[in-house]
Amino acid sequence: MTETSSMAPAQQESGSQTLAVRASGVDRAFGGVQALRDASFAARPGEIHALAGENGAGKSTLIKVLCGLIKADRGTVEIFGTEVSRVVEPAARRRMGVATAFQELSLLPDLTVAENLLLENPPRGRLGLVKRRGLGPAAEEILGRYGVDDIDPRATAADLSVAQRQVVELVRVLAGEPRVVILDEPTAALADRQVEWLAGHMRQLRDAGSCVIFTSHRWREIEALADRVTVFRNGTHVATRDTLSEAEAVTLMSGRSFAGAYPELTTVPQRESALRVKGLHSGRLHGVDLDLRRGEILGVGGLAGQGQRDLFLTLFGAQKARQGTITLDGKAVAIRSTKDAIRAGIAYVPEDRKAEGLFLPLSIRDNIAAATLSRRNTAGFVRRGAERTAVGSIVDQLSIGKGRSTNRAVDTLSGGNQQKVVMARWLLTDARILLLFDVTRGVDAATKHDIYELVGKLAAQGRAILYYSSETEEIAHLCHRVLVLREGRVAAELAGPVGDAERIVAASIKENHDA
Amino acid sequence: MSTRRVLYALGGTVAVLLVGAILHPGFASWSSLRVMLVVASFTGFVAAGQMLVVLVGGIDLSIPWVLNGAAIVLTTSSLGQTSRAPLAIVLALGVGALVGLGNGLGVAWLGVPAVVMTLGMNGVMQGLTLGLSKGLTCASCGSYAPEPLRGLFDGALPAQLFLWAGVGLFMTVLLTLTTFGRRVYAVGVNPRAAFLSGVGVRGVTVALYTLSGVFAALAGIALVAYGGQPSLGLGDPYLFESIAAVVVGGVSILGGRGHYLGVIAGSLTLVAVTTFLQAQRVPEYGRLMIYGLVILAILFAYGREKAHD
Amino acid sequence: MREALRRVSIGYLVLAATAVAYLVVYTSRLGRFPTSFDYLSILNTTLPLVFVAIGQSLVVLTGGIDLSVGGMVSVCVAVTATTVSSSVFWLVVVLALGTACGALNGLIVAYGRIAPILTTLATLSIFTGLALRVMPVPGGSIPQEVRLVLTNPATPTGLIWLGLAVVGWLVLRRTRFGMRVYAIGSDEASARAVGVPAAAVKLKVYALSGLCSALAAVFYVSTTTSGDANAGNPFILTSIASVVVGGVAFAGGRGSALGAVAGAVALTLVIDILFFSGIDPLYQSLFQGLFLVVAVLLGTVAALAARRRRQA
Repeated sequence: MTETSSMAPAQQESGSQTLAVRASGVDRAFGGVQALRDASFAARPGEIHALAGENGAGKSTLIKVLCGLIKADRGTVEIFGTEVSRVVEPAARRRMGVATAFQELSLLPDLTVAENLLLENPPRGRLGLVKRRGLGPAAEEILGRYGVDDIDPRATAADLSVAQRQVVELVRVLAGEPRVVILDEPTAALADRQVEWLAGHMRQLRDAGSCVIFTSHRWREIEALADRVTVFRNGTHVATRDTLSEAEAVTLMSGRSFAGAYPELTTVPQRESALRVKGLHSGRLHGVDLDLRRGEILGVGGLAGQGQRDLFLTLFGAQKARQGTITLDGKAVAIRSTKDAIRAGIAYVPEDRKAEGLFLPLSIRDNIAAATLSRRNTAGFVRRGAERTAVGSIVDQLSIGKGRSTNRAVDTLSGGNQQKVVMARWLLTDARILLLFDVTRGVDAATKHDIYELVGKLAAQGRAILYYSSETEEIAHLCHRVLVLREGRVAAELAGPVGDAERIVAASIKENHDA
Repeated sequence: MSTRRVLYALGGTVAVLLVGAILHPGFASWSSLRVMLVVASFTGFVAAGQMLVVLVGGIDLSIPWVLNGAAIVLTTSSLGQTSRAPLAIVLALGVGALVGLGNGLGVAWLGVPAVVMTLGMNGVMQGLTLGLSKGLTCASCGSYAPEPLRGLFDGALPAQLFLWAGVGLFMTVLLTLTTFGRRVYAVGVNPRAAFLSGVGVRGVTVALYTLSGVFAALAGIALVAYGGQPSLGLGDPYLFESIAAVVVGGVSILGGRGHYLGVIAGSLTLVAVTTFLQAQRVPEYGRLMIYGLVILAILFAYGREKAHD
Repeated sequence: MREALRRVSIGYLVLAATAVAYLVVYTSRLGRFPTSFDYLSILNTTLPLVFVAIGQSLVVLTGGIDLSVGGMVSVCVAVTATTVSSSVFWLVVVLALGTACGALNGLIVAYGRIAPILTTLATLSIFTGLALRVMPVPGGSIPQEVRLVLTNPATPTGLIWLGLAVVGWLVLRRTRFGMRVYAIGSDEASARAVGVPAAAVKLKVYALSGLCSALAAVFYVSTTTSGDANAGNPFILTSIASVVVGGVAFAGGRGSALGAVAGAVALTLVIDILFFSGIDPLYQSLFQGLFLVVAVLLGTVAALAARRRRQA
């Protein structure tokens, strides 16, 4: 093992062979949030380089800087020794051989698979015109080269499943045979067999001399694939190693020792059922039963895209159920809208706080008060005194924004504080049932810890909590009980705290080898 | 952020007035200001409605013929008689509300893009207005606005200005002090998050388009009271004016940001620029071009979208 | 293939329905079928709108909107009507002028990052002012030779130009530029991320819209034989209506300029239908407005049905 963490990688390697990618001293802020500070990164040609770090560590931002989607506020970026810091145009990077598969920015939804694959290099006929009829066969040939035979090249991208879209996105990137490949969370939506498929192609590219950079949430993938690992924490480079054990990695990523990252589960659920669901069909859900008791933290696990989101949205009235019954405190209820759900004492804290949670330019107070406006309403007017009191007390309770004015716009807060603002909005509703959907995503370690403790405290108050997280580790430690969803059904139920996340992963992928 | 834009807008108004006053003694005198204020009040009315729909990321292109239609409804139903004035006002405002409601339902429930829905509605209103009034040649089409309405513009301090102040007060109170106002900004900033917070997004949208129709009708009533008789094409300039006033007033076209105070300033700036150009005897073509350039300049100053990064 | 058919079908369906209605109304009113003269007059009156609609649909396909087509047509009409009678060479100047106006829009939208609707609203005012400067009062003329070539009232030369417009679009669609236009309209951020130079493409799209407006202006003067500085105004509404009726998605990324061409012809037929059915022409815009809204609703319903069918 080589210890290189004491020096920034860029300095350390500047003397050796030409680096494929080199970033040094990169700063980048979004609103009030410093996503990267003095960040450095270096990767060589002919290696698979994993970029590890917790959510919110700055991995995605670094990737966007590397591929020219956003500009660094400060610092330099070099591709094969050429300085490119001033150029903000992915097209220019592509010409230098840099290709990127993004986590969110993915395919063009209205275009066909073939058009997506061949957008920048379509087959041409006489006069140099694009052969529209040739698009399908050409795409078929490319997909075939990568052993993909279950995707119709003429299908519109919007109609594909999440996993299929991911596969097309990867083929698009791989097929360009780039000199630098950057893959942001390429496996999140893939089944085991597809992960193997991808790994094979990544190795092939490396052996051909390309530089392959990837991020992943699953440690065993990093272990299996990466020649080297770089760890990021709080927007900056922490270490680059040839080998790294999981325990060490967690320590480096969180800045804490492996044990004690999660508070102990001390409470015991009550006996009364708070929410009972029978035979729920909605979106990808095909008959889900569950019984959530008061004071219980019920985890929902499984691979990404097995219907977890549909379950949460349907229970919150934001999505229509095709079939099934919902019982609250023993009474059957019909939840047809978010308004109904809020009235019934249900709260939903979404994963993507920017898209689904926050009103970024509005004040902290406006954001927190948004779900309870009608409770402080006299003849249509906001009772501002009452609002200030209510918001003030919850802000103190969650220690949001270090006691500064609640008139500040939310986009000046850090990711952790932003997530707390969304939580505060829902705590103000006095909801008895909390649907927490990946609430620790993109949140720093300290806030994560605050949220874990808050969740425990809420359960101790007798509230019922349905908890989903993309970090299986969290579900394994925080929950009284875990339901594993697979293909829209409950595939397994594990008593908690499960402790070992691998058990949940194993239950998620069992019988899934034929996928 | 948006309060700063209000200050820019007010600063712009003052700057135009100052330049005018220096080049034309008397430009900023009370008698000249009074005329400008009255003319600006018409823009202020339509811009109030336009602002409301822009706040939720929409746009109302039906303003010209809603305004024109309401003006004609007012004179033809009042026949110039004072006793029929209240009924006529209610009818005219009702027409505006009805058209606005139609726009709102189309946009919020049927998912028709706002540009298409309101553009179509403008055509519908134009056709109905022209057809039903037989091209403004119908028997009652020669009627004047009732006398009390025409009195709105008399005196050193015309009642019309108080009416505008009332509109300003209504808009400010509605948007800053009521729960409805909170919901409007929430929907404008992030409709998905608003929906997930239990805000009735569709209901809010319909209400705003309805109000926009009412404000366009109100402007129609005021304009016909000012001119005495309606004419065809009365509302045509007000589409451009309403959008320009909203944008100059610092309201974001993407929704969620802006105050009516800024829109008042925007309306005054536009009228001051026009008045100034008229005083300079700039011909119409020059006025149009300079007008466009001024708006472009203001857009470059504070109407730009965020950079990609 | 069937997918492609379904996507553009709404514009052609509307056109077919209006064409049938036209035939029915015409024959029942006049007791005979329309003559070639009727067809020719429809063709010649539609041509300007066809060009503007193609330009507008390019812009709408990128997710934008061009309100300044009114101003661009006006200024080009003014220049055409005042200059071309002295030298046919001026036609080139007119086309260059339209392209330059459009490029100005493109620069402001793509590099100035100002919303298309605001940009083109402001430039509409500038271009209209310019038109008034060139032609303060209606008038002007066009040489007979130009007329005979472009919109010959006796022989269908217009068909050639219509054909060229359609071919032009088909070629454009088959360039990388054409594919990029759709990519940007589908999702600009993603398109940029996969390497589409979005700003440069948008600049070209707006410039092309300007060129289309200039072509429309030339054909307009050729048909009406005179100019008017306000000639372009009606094209704002009708071009957007053609695009929408033609099944181009307002959010961008879906549809075809050919649909918009069909929409433009349908829109012109509607006016003739109203005329032959004896409806007071004052009601004309009522039906145009209804036509627009109903077409959009039909499109929405069709899209929903298609989606449902695919999911089932």
